Amino acid sequence: MSTLKLTNLSKRFGGVVASEDVNIEVPAGKIIGLIGPNGAGKTTIINMITGMLAVSGGEIHVGDIDITHAPAHEICRAGLARTFQNIRLLGEATVLENVMIGFHRHETSATLAAMLGLPSAGRETVEIKERAQVMLKEFDLQDFADYPATGLSYGHQRKVEMARAMAAEPNFVLLDEPIAGMNNVESDALAEVFQRLASAGKGVLLIEHNVRFVAKMCSYVYVLDGGRLISQGTPDHVLSDPAVISAYLGDQQYA
Amino acid sequence: MNNFIAGYLPLFDIYLIHLGLAFSQYIVLRAGVFSLATAAFAGIGAYTAGIFAVSLGLHPAIGLLAGTLTGMGAAIVLSIPLARLQGVYQAIATVAFIQICLSLNIYAEGLTGGAMGLNNIPKTIGTGTLFVFAALATYLIWAIERGRLGRAFNTIRQDEAVAASLGISITRHQMLAFAISGALAGLFGGLEAYHSYALDPNQFGFHLLITTLSYVILGGRNSVVGPLVGAAILIILPELARPLAENRMVIYGIMLIVVINYLPKGIADTAIDAVRARRLKNGGDGS
Repeated sequence: MSTLKLTNLSKRFGGVVASEDVNIEVPAGKIIGLIGPNGAGKTTIINMITGMLAVSGGEIHVGDIDITHAPAHEICRAGLARTFQNIRLLGEATVLENVMIGFHRHETSATLAAMLGLPSAGRETVEIKERAQVMLKEFDLQDFADYPATGLSYGHQRKVEMARAMAAEPNFVLLDEPIAGMNNVESDALAEVFQRLASAGKGVLLIEHNVRFVAKMCSYVYVLDGGRLISQGTPDHVLSDPAVISAYLGDQQYA
Repeated sequence: MNNFIAGYLPLFDIYLIHLGLAFSQYIVLRAGVFSLATAAFAGIGAYTAGIFAVSLGLHPAIGLLAGTLTGMGAAIVLSIPLARLQGVYQAIATVAFIQICLSLNIYAEGLTGGAMGLNNIPKTIGTGTLFVFAALATYLIWAIERGRLGRAFNTIRQDEAVAASLGISITRHQMLAFAISGALAGLFGGLEAYHSYALDPNQFGFHLLITTLSYVILGGRNSVVGPLVGAAILIILPELARPLAENRMVIYGIMLIVVINYLPKGIADTAIDAVRARRLKNGGDGS
């Protein structure tokens, strides 16, 4: 089983330090939490892992493969998928089409065949459509397949994005505030999905504001503040750590 | 009746040629590249084909192939610097490219005939051949649209970050779209050369840019039907407005403004969306 491993990861925007010497390990089959107050640099870390931000220092490995400086589309091919903090669905596409695009990395028909519309390419499209429909069923979205994706409710849009990320069949999933703005029923449904992912052997890195949700879901939690890890350990340990409490609630003298 | 058809045949020929150019413009926009270089690629293809026939006396098939390949080659080369630019900057750079091609064409008088144009090209292409190539181009665009490449192009156009996060190589796909665009423009430029006896450098300038872009904007950017409809309307309309003589271009302009304001997705795409929405509604009632 491989591990997603960040070693001394750093990011500087000019003089501003967004992350410094961050060490995080996400083993396969585990849900790992990453929490921290606003502006702590959580999303910066996901953006570095997925190749959307250049890394200033340190290394990122998936198993033995170094993906520190790989371009974004190759990182996906190394088995990483993500969701976005602000949902990013394709507005001009239907729910089904949004999920179909997730299968891109498994499409194998030759470019020329795809250009000329040869039978092999046609078969692939049909097959991917079927797989996308199965995926929609898993997320209980099958009734919305032909709807414009951005016309769905917030909770459903989150699920579509999740289904799209899952379509890539990643080994590691990076979830950027997946339950932000959801009610308890919706977040419980997603919690089940995450647990299913972990028991299927995928490593999950869960970034959240909702400390209670993280405490419930994760076996191990990292706490980030001002770009640095200030605490790590089991949820109980982390949440009783004075450094974490002061980061979230302010120093005792002001509290 | 026969006279009537014969009278409109030249118009149909223009439609078929411009359809190919409209698809050349369409495919780059589809892949999220704001390139306007179709006019330049068409010029490159047309002059290559013309020179092959006039100076070298080669068979039109070879000339067309050469036109297609040079159009494609120019597009691939241009796509490298263009990949570093975004949006409007791509548009400006490609407009500059058209101007450069135009100037080079005029300077290279020995090869291209300069400002006098390239004359005495044997006419070897008729309506039938044009129709076959236009049909093939339509099929090509249709096939791309419904397969893996169409899905990748759509994703890149709508959100590059999502595309990359799902493993789609943006530079590779945009270069491919560019190559297809250049090949189509080169081919239909070559057809134009063999269809019209003579080429004039200004034929492939700013006016052609506006024309091909209008076909796609008016017809629709997201389905193969868009350029088919857009080119048909914009070619027939000035003919219908012939009694207005000099003022008929005013109608052309007014119509573009109206469509861009009220049907920003273009005529065909708006119609397709309406049909889909209706089907969805009816399906919802049934269940």
